[in-house]
Order: sequence, then C-alpha cells, then structure tokens
Amino acid sequence: MHTELEQQQITRLLRKLPDDAARPYDWHEFQRRARAVPAAAVQVAGLRALATGIVTTLAVLATAIRFGASPHPPQPPGEAVMADEAPAAGGGDLFRAAEREDRAAQYWLERLPREPALVQVGTRAAVETLEDHIAQVDDLLTAERAGSAPAERLQLLQQERAQLVNSLVRVRYAETLADAAR
Amino acid sequence: MTRLVEITVSDEVRERACAGEEGARQLIYAAVAPATFALIRRLVGSRSASEDVFQDTMMILFERLTEFRREAPLGAWLRQIAISRSLMYLRSPWRRVLLCLETDERDTPAPARATTAALAPEAIDLERALATLAPTARAVLWMYEVEGYSHAEIAASFGRSVSFSKSQLARAHQKLRAWFEPQGRPTCTLS
Repeated sequence: MHTELEQQQITRLLRKLPDDAARPYDWHEFQRRARAVPAAAVQVAGLRALATGIVTTLAVLATAIRFGASPHPPQPPGEAVMADEAPAAGGGDLFRAAEREDRAAQYWLERLPREPALVQVGTRAAVETLEDHIAQVDDLLTAERAGSAPAERLQLLQQERAQLVNSLVRVRYAETLADAAR
Repeated sequence: MTRLVEITVSDEVRERACAGEEGARQLIYAAVAPATFALIRRLVGSRSASEDVFQDTMMILFERLTEFRREAPLGAWLRQIAISRSLMYLRSPWRRVLLCLETDERDTPAPARATTAALAPEAIDLERALATLAPTARAVLWMYEVEGYSHAEIAASFGRSVSFSKSQLARAHQKLRAWFEPQGRPTCTLS
C-alpha cells in the first residue's frame, strides 16, 4: 500500500515536471541545419557504401576459406568425351564417376605450383599428410588390382581416394585464396 | 507548456505550409518545437543527441505534412514521429556507444542544471533520479506514466514483448522509490 502510494506520488510529480528548460534552437538554426544535412548525408552514404563493400568482400573470403567453397576444377582433356558416354549399370557407373572426379581434381591440383608463395606451417602439414595418405591408397589400389580383388573392394578404395583428393583440393584452394589475399 | 499531443494547427496554416510557404512553416515550428524537443529530451537524455533527433523529427514533419490526415491533432501525429525517432536512436548500437561516452551529460541532468532555482526541491530530486535511469527504462517510464501509452503500445514501439515493458517500468519505479527513501536521500521526501 505504502509502495503504491509512493508510486502514485512519483507519477504525479513526473507529470508536473516543467519542460521550459529544454528549449530547442530557433527556426533559422533549424533551416541552417536542414541545409547542412544533404552534404553530410552524401558523405555518410559514401562511407557506408565503402564499409559495406569491405565487409561483404571479407565475408565472402572468410566463408570460402571456412567452408572450402568448391574450386570447380577445370575438366581435364578428354573428360568431356568420357562424360558423354552412356552410363554403365549400378556400381560400375559409380566407380567410373568417382574415377572421373578424381582425375579432374588431380588435373586441377597439378596445375598449382608445388608450394604457395608463402608457406603456412599448419596448412603445409595438412597437405603433406593428405598426400601421404593418397600415396598409400594408390599403393593399395595397385596391389589389389594386381591380385584381382573384387570390384566392391576396388570401388571402396577408389571412393576413399576421391575423398582424400577432394580434401586436398579444398586445403590447396584455401591456401591459394589466402595467398591471393596477402 | 502545452503537451505535444494537445497542439493543433489551423487547416489554413497547414495548407500554406504544405504549399511550401516559409512563414506558415515557421508558425508551425514555433507551435510544436518546444514540446517536441522537451519530449525527445526526456526520452534521449543528452542535449546533443536530442538536437539530432529533434532535427530529424522536424524535417520528417515538413516532408510528410501532406500525408497528415487530420484524424488526430497535429501534435499527436508529431509525437508518434518523435517517439519513433527517439527509440530508433536508443536502439542503434552505434548510438549506444556514443551514449556511454557522453557520461558527463547523462550524469547531470540539464533541466536541473539550468533551472534549479525555479524548481521545487522534489522536482529537482526527480530530475536527478531520472538521470540515473538507463535510457530504455527512462523512455518506458515516460511513455507509460506521462504520455499515457499502454504496455502493449510501448512493447510494439520497442519491437519487444509486453513483459519487457512491464519489467522496465517496474525497475524504473524501484529505482525512483529507492532514490526517495529517507535512508537513501535524507534531504528529500515526497509530499
């Protein structure tokens, strides 16, 4: 009750507060400021556009690096002909598709310089690890092919190789983007 | 001072102002500017920021005067613009940073500084107490208690929930009551 009474008194006082002290500037000052606004607005708009451009560029670059935007490696020679071939049934088709992707990625990788202009230790270690794994899978594939392994086994190995190559492409692509941004 | 919501302007003056006549615009400015600025000052706090918001509000008034439909007094329509621009200012993250930097102005309420001699002691204390409130809480308090907005209307203005408005008001009241408590402020009691 006491609190409610106090609240009512505060409300009453708030409504009675005089506003005379807060006088605005006169009409001439208002007009002067109104004329000054367009020039300032143009300046602000220019700065905003510049800032937006910078932020957008950085965001695109960061997204590309973070999520490894697809580098879309160019098709190797003769790939277009292969793509037009009629698809074989079932697993054979998947196997050939994996091989094609693998070759396209390999072609893109081979066109890159062996190392970027500025070597980042962490990235280089990742590249080397991936290259080692790919080499191991390649050895295994060669051995399995020589030993007439079943098609499913070869397909699994080829898929694994394709995944590793894909990861390598992404790391190398991020490396080239970072290199270009420097 | 007449409350902004009660200010009316004759149709003839308004039409002349819509036609771009400077004399008519000056008349409207003289009629509405003091109450508009006082309201913005209450909501925004600092003098320099209030002047920016006021300038913005008055420019919108003259730009959109042709859109005024005479469903309510001109002051009521202008009050909506002033409150909307003030809240936009308070919500802006960049302005919030500026507001924090302008601590000197926020700590000492200008009205109390300017007219201390003319005000009753409890009014001086209330001015000081208002200046200690966070800008959002002060705006909610003023809109609810003085301007007569409902919690739903305040919530809609802020783009928040009704409970946001209620909690801000409760917090503002709590802080004002604490200011007037004898142990907190021994020099002042409510009459």
